[in-house]
Amino acid sequence: MATRTGAFTTSELMVVAGARELREGELAFVGLGIPQVAAALAQRTHARGLVVLNEIGLADPRPVEFGVGNADPRHWYGASVMGGFVDVMGKLLHRGLVDVGFLGALEVDAYGNANATEVRREDGSIRRFGGGGGANDIASLARSTILIIRHERRKLVEKVAHLTDPGRGVRSVLTDKCVFGVDPSTRRLVVRSVHPGIGRDELRDATGFALDIPERVPTTEAPTAEELRLIREVIDPERLYTKAF
Amino acid sequence: MSKIVSLAEAAALIHDGDHVALGGFAIARNATALVHELVRRRVRGLHISACILGIEADLLVGAGCVESVVYSGGSLDRFGQLGRVNEAVERRSVAIEYMSGLALTFRYMAGALGLPYMPVRSMLDSDLLPPLVAAGIAREERDPFGGGALVLVKALVPDVAVVHAQVADAEGNARVLGPRWDNDEAVAAAKRVIVVADEIVERGEITAMPELTLVPSFRTSALVHLPFAAHPTAVYRRYDYDADHLRLYAEATRSQRTFDEYVERYVRSTDHAAYLAAVGGEAKLAALAADGRLGY
Repeated sequence: MATRTGAFTTSELMVVAGARELREGELAFVGLGIPQVAAALAQRTHARGLVVLNEIGLADPRPVEFGVGNADPRHWYGASVMGGFVDVMGKLLHRGLVDVGFLGALEVDAYGNANATEVRREDGSIRRFGGGGGANDIASLARSTILIIRHERRKLVEKVAHLTDPGRGVRSVLTDKCVFGVDPSTRRLVVRSVHPGIGRDELRDATGFALDIPERVPTTEAPTAEELRLIREVIDPERLYTKAF
Repeated sequence: MSKIVSLAEAAALIHDGDHVALGGFAIARNATALVHELVRRRVRGLHISACILGIEADLLVGAGCVESVVYSGGSLDRFGQLGRVNEAVERRSVAIEYMSGLALTFRYMAGALGLPYMPVRSMLDSDLLPPLVAAGIAREERDPFGGGALVLVKALVPDVAVVHAQVADAEGNARVLGPRWDNDEAVAAAKRVIVVADEIVERGEITAMPELTLVPSFRTSALVHLPFAAHPTAVYRRYDYDADHLRLYAEATRSQRTFDEYVERYVRSTDHAAYLAAVGGEAKLAALAADGRLGY
């Protein structure tokens, strides 16, 4: 799905939108892929003091190449401290010091509750995935979460098949079609900005829950030339995560 | 006193029906060679646990060694899913206790401290909690000091913890470099600890930096010296994961038939030396050697 809207891919737009959700000085858990690229971009633009944590038991890594997951030592390179799960998930997260978790999910409902466990196949049987790991801890204990998910009817659902990660602190939900915020009175997701070229009907058709699109909704801010240069030349030159979705 | 035993002798310390805490995390520091030996010995009825399961758990479940799995997640990272674990969960051919990573670590920690339970603030208002309450291993309570809702998780005391270490001395002082995930708590909670080490060093090397010791000798029941015993997973500062073999395994574990073929070829008909030869021998192992500066 290497859609190019103008001179950037959808995934580049998502990286930039994700980076803008991260703030200077925050302590953050970031998932593999676009969240990680977004954090790296934020660290090179407006959030030089953003500190990334890895639940495996380390903090503030400065990787020089992307790896295949939290367990890949490529993502440990340059860490300032290494320890165990309790050091990071306990003494920082459970202690209440973590600002934000940037997490993927299999399904998200209208209240930002996320499923990281299993989905129901069309024949009604259960398809089990790898499981949430520390995602429930992060959703339960970080001050806020940013969720990222592909924008499809079967993924943005009225009711998640397994409520793994409660949506108590959702800051935003980032998809390949829009950015959701949370309505403070109803707690439901509300469209905050729509990506360039995505129409209201397309958005509604691709969403499995009743969708609230404000009358006037801005277009998601396009990447700047400098942001694109950082993504393409410095952060993800192999284009592992920013070529397509 | 030396704790060094053969792989077969170490595996014989794990009995049918034991609870075994596995030391790996996805594609890092799995005690693969020891698990291969358990599969060859056709151990049955194991209860296994780890915060993040890796190839260790998938091999044991796929080979029919496991009755229940206590975990929070698991995968082969981007190489793929733990096909045998996930299918067994779907078909309910293993029982599961599925909880957040911190909840499981706190269960080990309670075991490590000799406490009956540990409070945790995770899992409230999620679908994780009700099955754990029903199984009698978690309870929702109020903080007796007035601080709000808590989940009490029951102590977990594994019969055996298995952990792969970069180095150990012959007495069984084991040093682990890099992140340790749930290893500290699982090892401290377990009744017996089996260490598999890539290299054996003199005691003086351990005592030169004792702060790096994960398992002290007096907690080690048995020590196996076996280079590349964690292959195909990564051992920080020693060797990288074997991407070729993980791809091959990820494909094999998608069905029981292809998994069985894999196990026949790489596990049942081999020992560790033959396994290493089958996955590429000296040339492959040399290519996996970690760069001293990068650690992988």
